[in-house]
Amino acid sequence: MTELAVRLSGVTKSFGSHTAVSDFDLDIPRGAIVGLLGPNGSGKTTMIRMIMAILLPDRGTVELFGGFPDFARRSRVGYLPEERGVYEKMKVLEQLVFLGELRGLTRQMARSRAGHWLERLGLAEWSGKKVQELSKGMQQKVQFIGTVLHDPDMLILDEPFSGLDPINQDVLEAIVREERERGKTILFSTHLMEQAERLCERVCLISRSRKVLDGDLKKLKRRERSGAVAVEFEGDDRWLMRLGIRDIERVDDAHHLSAVDQAQYDAILAAAMEAGVALRRFEVLEPSLREIFVRHAGEQAEEPPMAAMGGAR
Amino acid sequence: MRQVWIVLRREYLERVKTKGFILSTIAIPVLMLGMIGLSAFLGIQAERSQRELALVDYTGRIGDEVARRVQSYGYEMELVDRVVALDELDRRVLEDELEGYLVLDDLTLSEGVFAYRGKDSPSALRRALFESAVVETALELHLSTMESAGTVRALIEGGQLDYESVVESTGGEGAEVARIRGIATGFAGAFLLYLTMILYGQYVLRSVLDEKRNRVVEVVISSVTPWRLMLGKVLGVGSMGLTQVGIWAGSGAVLALFGIPFIAAQFPSTELGGFLQYLPGAGDIALLAVYFLLGYFLFAALFAAVGAMCSTEEDAQQAQFPLVMLLVVPFIMQMTTIEGGGFAWMDWVALFPYFSPVMMFPRAVAGAVPWWMVALSLVFMALALVGTAWVAGRIYRVGILMQGKRPTLRELVRWVRTA
Repeated sequence: MTELAVRLSGVTKSFGSHTAVSDFDLDIPRGAIVGLLGPNGSGKTTMIRMIMAILLPDRGTVELFGGFPDFARRSRVGYLPEERGVYEKMKVLEQLVFLGELRGLTRQMARSRAGHWLERLGLAEWSGKKVQELSKGMQQKVQFIGTVLHDPDMLILDEPFSGLDPINQDVLEAIVREERERGKTILFSTHLMEQAERLCERVCLISRSRKVLDGDLKKLKRRERSGAVAVEFEGDDRWLMRLGIRDIERVDDAHHLSAVDQAQYDAILAAAMEAGVALRRFEVLEPSLREIFVRHAGEQAEEPPMAAMGGAR
Repeated sequence: MRQVWIVLRREYLERVKTKGFILSTIAIPVLMLGMIGLSAFLGIQAERSQRELALVDYTGRIGDEVARRVQSYGYEMELVDRVVALDELDRRVLEDELEGYLVLDDLTLSEGVFAYRGKDSPSALRRALFESAVVETALELHLSTMESAGTVRALIEGGQLDYESVVESTGGEGAEVARIRGIATGFAGAFLLYLTMILYGQYVLRSVLDEKRNRVVEVVISSVTPWRLMLGKVLGVGSMGLTQVGIWAGSGAVLALFGIPFIAAQFPSTELGGFLQYLPGAGDIALLAVYFLLGYFLFAALFAAVGAMCSTEEDAQQAQFPLVMLLVVPFIMQMTTIEGGGFAWMDWVALFPYFSPVMMFPRAVAGAVPWWMVALSLVFMALALVGTAWVAGRIYRVGILMQGKRPTLRELVRWVRTA
């Protein structure tokens, strides 16, 4: 996977005195599904708008499919902006056919694909209604259909799930996953960490206009391991004392012990056997994306750290 | 080109389908014609429904003829014997049997003075009709005793000024008709051009602004170049405009060709039939179409650029002010010289491309300027259109993706340079 769908190098963008994106590097390989994570106002949308050449960077370069995001390259992308960009007075189907035709589909093809998608997203009966008569959530689904209708190589989705109920979020998530299976590159921004955790292979964490971390989610988690294991068992807990581990914390039914390497894991397991307790769970703890984010974003974070665990990269 | 066509079609269909379009297309002419028709109809009805009139003639020489004339205007008039007391007639007026009555006496014959007695004063129309009936009858009476009666009658009828135009190519018979036709066509055309350029220009502005405000443009622009989008939009609104003006012109032509002869046939006494000869010819209409197209594109491009540089309705209201002035100023100048003449320097002002539609078209059809000036104005407009489209396209391209504050003039210049 050497070919890149998107490459940002040293990208900086300011609006007046406010720096929205600062010295940003990011590579997105073809076929990857990447989550752009960060609190509101951290620069996610500005970055996406630069990738779509809606904004031009003050410094640095933006490459899309290996070159300047010109018209030809942009037309290979399905872009869903954060604001709900729809022609409110147009009928649902007509609007989709218009967008499809603009992107090179024939009228028939646009019509049949739009019909298919409307069916799939449960909007078939609304196809003759004006967009403004639809609820916000439905409008968002219509807009999403407009994004995928012409079967682009890449999807760039700015907060695609916000404002949707959980059922529709799941529907959309399933479609995004499916498009990924079909080999598309997907970049989406969200401030919902759990969602990104479910969906992404790669994440890029942004805070205060700067990149905090990026990379493969699994590797990231392994690297960010907090150096703790969770142990759950039935029986006397005095054996824990004999381990000589100072950091022991009771979390619900489990005990969290600090342990950083295989030797320590083995020691804990051996001690448990020796004590003859019935071991129910032994897990090397991995931090949630939220914890990783909070740890790295520092005081910029939305919430205070959830687990008081140290550890640097 | 396909994309321009797709944008054009959307813009056109979305506009033509709106209630606003249907209303303004049908309602405006219907309303205007309806109001003219209704007021004429009501006026005639009001005159006709009036109660009977009476006439007392103490001279005993002109009563019959006056009554006949008044009757020929459509009133019922009873010639009352002069032995009937006026008290009796007053009583009939008070009891609403009579609307009123005329009293003629010697003073009528010598000075044309006569009286009308009634509860209400006669309408202006009625007053004029009575006066002409009485005065003409009295004149006839006097004339019949004179030798040179024919000459006097001809002179009294006012004579006639035969206008002989010295403008090239026209002249001879019908020159007066041509002159009036030129003025009328010029006035109507200038007004239509002014109205449509402002109206359709605003449509373009609104369309650009809406697309920018709801961010549709960000989606669309990834599939269409800004230039094609703007072109499609301007062409779409323009097509709608042509449809609307076409419907107006078509219904106007139908009305003129069938309606006017019909009405004229109903009222043979009027000279409505002669009105037809004042309607513009095909050449005038073709010239109007040329000015409309050039003028529309010239202003549509500007309005599109203004729409692109604004982010809110209020902004746009302010920013379009100079454009509106660019239309209002020539219109006012034109109104001060309706007959196409006036100050000679205005002929040169009319060459300014943004002023040409409103100022040069009426001059052209009135024959007030030489043909080469008309041609020159068209060339200037075409050149201005190329330049305007170039600048507007650049402003549009940067502007539609720019949110927030409206750019200053300096920033605009930079947009045009760097786009």
